[in-house]
Amino acid sequence: MQLLNLAIAMMLDFAAPILLASLGGVISESSGVVNIALEGIMRFSAFFGVWGSAVAKNQWVGLLWGIGIGIVVGAFHAYITVKWAGDQIVSGVAINVVSLGIITYFLELIFKTTGYSPSVPYFGSAANRISLTFLSKIPVLGAFSRLTIFVWLSLLLTGGLHFLLYHTVLGLRIRSVGENPTAAETLGVNVFKIKWFAVIMGSVFAAIGGAALSLGTMASFNNTGVAGGKGFIALAAMIFGKWTPFGAMLAAFLFASAQVLQFILQATARGIASQIPSGFYSALPYFLTIGALVGVVGKAVGPAADGIPYKKES
Amino acid sequence: MEALGVRNIVKQFPNVLANDKVTLSIEKGEIFALVGENGAGKSTLMKIVYGLYTPNSGEIYVFGKKEDIKTPQDSIKLKIGMVHQEFMLIPRFTVTQNIVLGDEPHKGFVFDYLRAISEVREISDKFGLKIDPTEKVENLPVGIQQRVEILKILRRGAEILIFDEPTAVLTPEETSELFKTLNALKQDGKTIIFISHKLNEVMEIADRIGVMRRGELQGIVNKSETNERELARMMVGRDVVLELPKANVKAGDEVFSVSNLNVKNTKGILGLKGVSFSVHAREIVGIAGVEGNGQAELVNAILGFLKPTSGKISINGKEIKLITPYNMRTRGMSYIPEDRKRRGLVLPFRARENIIMGQHTLYPFSNRGILNDKEIDAFATKKLQEFDVRPPDIYSKAESFSGGNQQKIILAKEMSLKHNFLLASQPTRGLDIGATEFVYKMLVEEKKKGIGILLISLELSEIMGLSDRILVLYNGEIVGEVTPEETTEEELGLMMLGLKRKERVQ
Repeated sequence: MQLLNLAIAMMLDFAAPILLASLGGVISESSGVVNIALEGIMRFSAFFGVWGSAVAKNQWVGLLWGIGIGIVVGAFHAYITVKWAGDQIVSGVAINVVSLGIITYFLELIFKTTGYSPSVPYFGSAANRISLTFLSKIPVLGAFSRLTIFVWLSLLLTGGLHFLLYHTVLGLRIRSVGENPTAAETLGVNVFKIKWFAVIMGSVFAAIGGAALSLGTMASFNNTGVAGGKGFIALAAMIFGKWTPFGAMLAAFLFASAQVLQFILQATARGIASQIPSGFYSALPYFLTIGALVGVVGKAVGPAADGIPYKKES
Repeated sequence: MEALGVRNIVKQFPNVLANDKVTLSIEKGEIFALVGENGAGKSTLMKIVYGLYTPNSGEIYVFGKKEDIKTPQDSIKLKIGMVHQEFMLIPRFTVTQNIVLGDEPHKGFVFDYLRAISEVREISDKFGLKIDPTEKVENLPVGIQQRVEILKILRRGAEILIFDEPTAVLTPEETSELFKTLNALKQDGKTIIFISHKLNEVMEIADRIGVMRRGELQGIVNKSETNERELARMMVGRDVVLELPKANVKAGDEVFSVSNLNVKNTKGILGLKGVSFSVHAREIVGIAGVEGNGQAELVNAILGFLKPTSGKISINGKEIKLITPYNMRTRGMSYIPEDRKRRGLVLPFRARENIIMGQHTLYPFSNRGILNDKEIDAFATKKLQEFDVRPPDIYSKAESFSGGNQQKIILAKEMSLKHNFLLASQPTRGLDIGATEFVYKMLVEEKKKGIGILLISLELSEIMGLSDRILVLYNGEIVGEVTPEETTEEELGLMMLGLKRKERVQ
């Protein structure tokens, strides 16, 4: 039973960054702005999170730094795609590419290291985990007894985003802008303001997901492993979840389960199975992602005006 | 009392002067029709009034006060509402969500959906416009979607309602329903501006009519003192001949036939039941019928988009076993589609590219896969002149042309393909009177050249005026075959509604 709890906790740990970034994708694309920069934003905030935590010797400051850089990068994406109606894919690719180079440079510049940053205060340390000891002996629920704040945040924000999108005036307007911006405009909705808000908000979600990669169960920034494609898996989760928060959550859980399965298979491999290169096991979650998308793409329909730059008539 | 006044409005677009010192005064409580050909500037004028365009100069008065209207929000505040030609609706939202968007009932920042529903019920009861507030708009027929648009602007308190070609997308039944609504709104004291190029509708619904041509207002007439012929002359600037002398030529050999055709539509329902007919050279066969009685199934079966459950389709006496657009076209079919934006043109492509489409792989337009720009340009330039496309700019994108000129590009393309059978599916749909006249002339020319034409149309006058034989389609069956000489529009109407049959004895 302890093993099951452990596996679930592990799954939630894997899922949190994917889910957070995926929620960021959901809110941004609900307003009609595609954000393939989730990967880059996660990388930015993972690094800035570690930096902030190192500077202040406090993981909370790290998280705030991560969110801060998320706002900056999100504002850049909004400036290109909303203000100037630029191509959303080009802007996203640019952010992803820049994040690769600039963070490697920063890592050497600031920490004088390559590959890894030094360890910093993080949310995964025994003292910083959220302890609900009374749950620990209960099957399944026991998994929730010692989680990091990121797992709880990812779950709470899923519900929060659902409420925002489907039960508030702002949510109705965000979705209307993603479906038919011209119609929204003629009714007095400020399309540009809404898009700015949704893009930056989405970046903040992705940034929290990025911080989870370096300040969650890890205590340092891993230059080659972050974000390691998690931003793209988050995009897949968003599509697989049909652009809804709870859909994204289930998809993130599915992909994270595949990762857990990978560990279990690798650890328990006997005989010929142990001869299989570890790369094969590492690739399993990605195969699953592709498989899931092949099954659902074509049937899943996003917001009608998703990806189309909005320009006013004159 | 003047509800809306525009004075000396000028609007200059990059290539065209859309409004040239237009001055108009519209009275409260009247239905004022603004007519003109596509591109005459009537929609532009109303978009200026609604705040979607900014005029270069001129003044707007609303209920006697000079107003500066910069955005739609400004005009909404001034109680002006507009029902656009392309609906401003969000298909995936419910009726209620669409109606309240932008001015939502709320508790704090929470959207109060239940109160929104009851507000929609209230307004729909008040104006007698029945609607299901919780239905998604994508599930509604077009006529009801338009009702949602009307309710939307009424809820915002509109007193001046602008309708931009509201009947273009409606069936005749929906149109008469809309006219009832318009008259009821007028009784309520609302002011209605009705933009159209359909003169018969204008004569039915309007009190006064303003005619525009090339950005200028030609004049304003009372309905009681004018007629369609005079309006047409004002619109086009010359006499328009829509009644063509029948080209009495003798029909030749059979060029196209279907026999015992059964077709299931995408919903799995048998939309075409045992249909047989043939078309001969130098003959126009008209298919009359109310929309949705099998026309779409017939066209799609001929193109190969729907596979018939049984039956045969032949061109020039030879059965086509594998029906695909390519096979049909290479055996001699040309096609004027009912939806020019979706089927007729690649909108973001230039005129020159659209015009060679279908023969772009052939010499001289391409050689071993390389396009020959010189040949294409020369050909396109010649065709645009020949078909009087305006502006005659081969580098303009198809989407930038007006509807009538888009149709001319399609005609230029289709007529230059080698063919002896023409499938003309609603070839004048949405066209103004000048472009309609052009299409009619074109069809008669084709016929004289020896082409066999299958004309599918919802306009009875068109069917009566052009066809040599008329087949009536009702509920997927041919319920009548007549000639225009031996029948009347009334009789056709009865057959179209399934109230009468008249089959030719073979």
